[in-house]
Amino acid sequence: MTDSHLAQSARSARLQQLTQLATNQSTILVGVMILLTIVFSSLEPKFLSALTANNILTDWGSVALIAVGQTFVIISGGIDLSVGATIGLSGVVSAWTMANVLGVDQTIKGGEASGALLIGTLVSVAVGVLVGLTNAFLINRFKIVPFIATLSTMGAALGFSVIISKGAPIGSASNFALISAIDPKVNPFSWAVIVVIIVVVIVGLFLHKSRFGLYTYAIGSNSFAARAAGINVERHLTKVYVLSGALAGLAGMYVYLRLGAGSPSSGTGRELDAIAAVVIGGASLMGGVGRMLGTVLGALILFTVQSGLIMIGVAPDWKKVVVAVLIAAAVAVQTLQSKNRRTA
Amino acid sequence: MSGDVIYEVKNVSKRYGSVVALDGASLKLHAGEVLGLVGDNGAGKSTLVKVLSGAHKPDGGQIFLDGVEQSWSSPRQALDAGIETLYQDSGLAPHLTVSQNVFLGREKLVRGPLGALGFLASKAMETEAHADLERVGIAVPSSSRSVSQLSGGQRQAVAIGRAVAWARKVIILDEPTNHLGARQAGEVLHVIQAAKSKGLGVIFISHTLPHVLEVTDRIVVLRLGKIVKDAPTAEFTSDSLIGTITGSIQTIKLDGD
Repeated sequence: MTDSHLAQSARSARLQQLTQLATNQSTILVGVMILLTIVFSSLEPKFLSALTANNILTDWGSVALIAVGQTFVIISGGIDLSVGATIGLSGVVSAWTMANVLGVDQTIKGGEASGALLIGTLVSVAVGVLVGLTNAFLINRFKIVPFIATLSTMGAALGFSVIISKGAPIGSASNFALISAIDPKVNPFSWAVIVVIIVVVIVGLFLHKSRFGLYTYAIGSNSFAARAAGINVERHLTKVYVLSGALAGLAGMYVYLRLGAGSPSSGTGRELDAIAAVVIGGASLMGGVGRMLGTVLGALILFTVQSGLIMIGVAPDWKKVVVAVLIAAAVAVQTLQSKNRRTA
Repeated sequence: MSGDVIYEVKNVSKRYGSVVALDGASLKLHAGEVLGLVGDNGAGKSTLVKVLSGAHKPDGGQIFLDGVEQSWSSPRQALDAGIETLYQDSGLAPHLTVSQNVFLGREKLVRGPLGALGFLASKAMETEAHADLERVGIAVPSSSRSVSQLSGGQRQAVAIGRAVAWARKVIILDEPTNHLGARQAGEVLHVIQAAKSKGLGVIFISHTLPHVLEVTDRIVVLRLGKIVKDAPTAEFTSDSLIGTITGSIQTIKLDGD
């Protein structure tokens, strides 16, 4: 390569950096967030309040947790449909354990409550890990495609949660003391949401800065090349699905705290919200592409739209249509971006 | 001008179900030698490459590296022993950067507790990847650029550069000049010569026979899983090589020299 070639490619690299920033998925998403806030608050001034922010963030919390796990799974080239059902199962098992094994009365407060909370959380995460291990086992051992493997664990998790709970929620919100962890009156950020943000930041750093994250991208980008480079692909995918399951377990505890009860259906359909958040965030279902910040903003946009539509008086049924439009738009932008890159 | 035998397979066979992909193949590779491996589609070249690179375990036969018998159970083991393989068309992860690809599987971690958690020393790897590729004679615009943004020729250059930079004993190149223009193919052949003069053993697999005749010291011809000819490149002409590959020229079964 000659010097003039090098100079030329350096110039085009700078130009590319500029266009990249302008078409960067996160930049676009922040723009969309600002636009949504302006539109909703001009139509309904009450939209711009700590209470609304808290409602949005509280909804965001549970889906953010599973969307973060889903980001790893999707970047690795897979998909995890079981996370919604895992929220239900882990919440039910955790509530059942607290009620029947620990004998915890739902009205407990203070130090006793934090002990119960800790054990409940550990049980919840353990259930998630178990689902993740099952997914990885089906995918690695029997070479079942992730879509089908996690579809079957989704069904099994839902079934078990109904069996254990006998179909009814365990516990009730009316006398639930632990709910203060998620109390909206504090400020926009309840304690539970702060915990979610901390988890998201830590896991995000692992995605973008660590070998664990790099191998996730490498496998999703070209699993043959990853294997040839000496990466144990099966072992890595096991870790990825366990991470997704563990975060779904944590989300199960989060939802339990919100509802004050472990309910088998509490996570139903949430896996689709998570996948939507990841895709809106710029990840590709083909694998190898995705950013944690994109996912986080994607989930935030989903719930901002949902709350905003309700507050400006649009029937909640429209939410699904708007979310569908968002997903289609996100994928369209993505396709245009990759087309630009190829012709650049 | 070639050195000692560095890599050797004796009598290896491999079958996939009822298909015999390799049937008692034996070959020796010397240090500082470029060995051409040719054969028609389905002759067993890819299978032999996979056996040599540790990706597949042969059903029978022996593998020796520096005279020590080896039994690779994963590509990792062969890589650690100093054997680099460049696979046809699929050696790189397109979404990763040049330096991430160069260091894939051999990342440098930051010092301290974060390093123990697997955090990467990305800047150091970028600088080093750039230097490594330059040393091998490959100019890449930026090692922080993603491979999908490179041209086909640049990608191939990165893949070969990585293999040559890491290889300590043997480098296996499966169709490295495929899809390349004349100038880029020339660069690849130049890199092969550089690897040879470093004292590496190079196995060069290609359908492009002029390249094989130009760059190799010795040529091994595979047909239907068997090695039918193993001779110095000087003994071949373009026509005799084609004839040997297709089987229109009769060959005598070699009884291991």
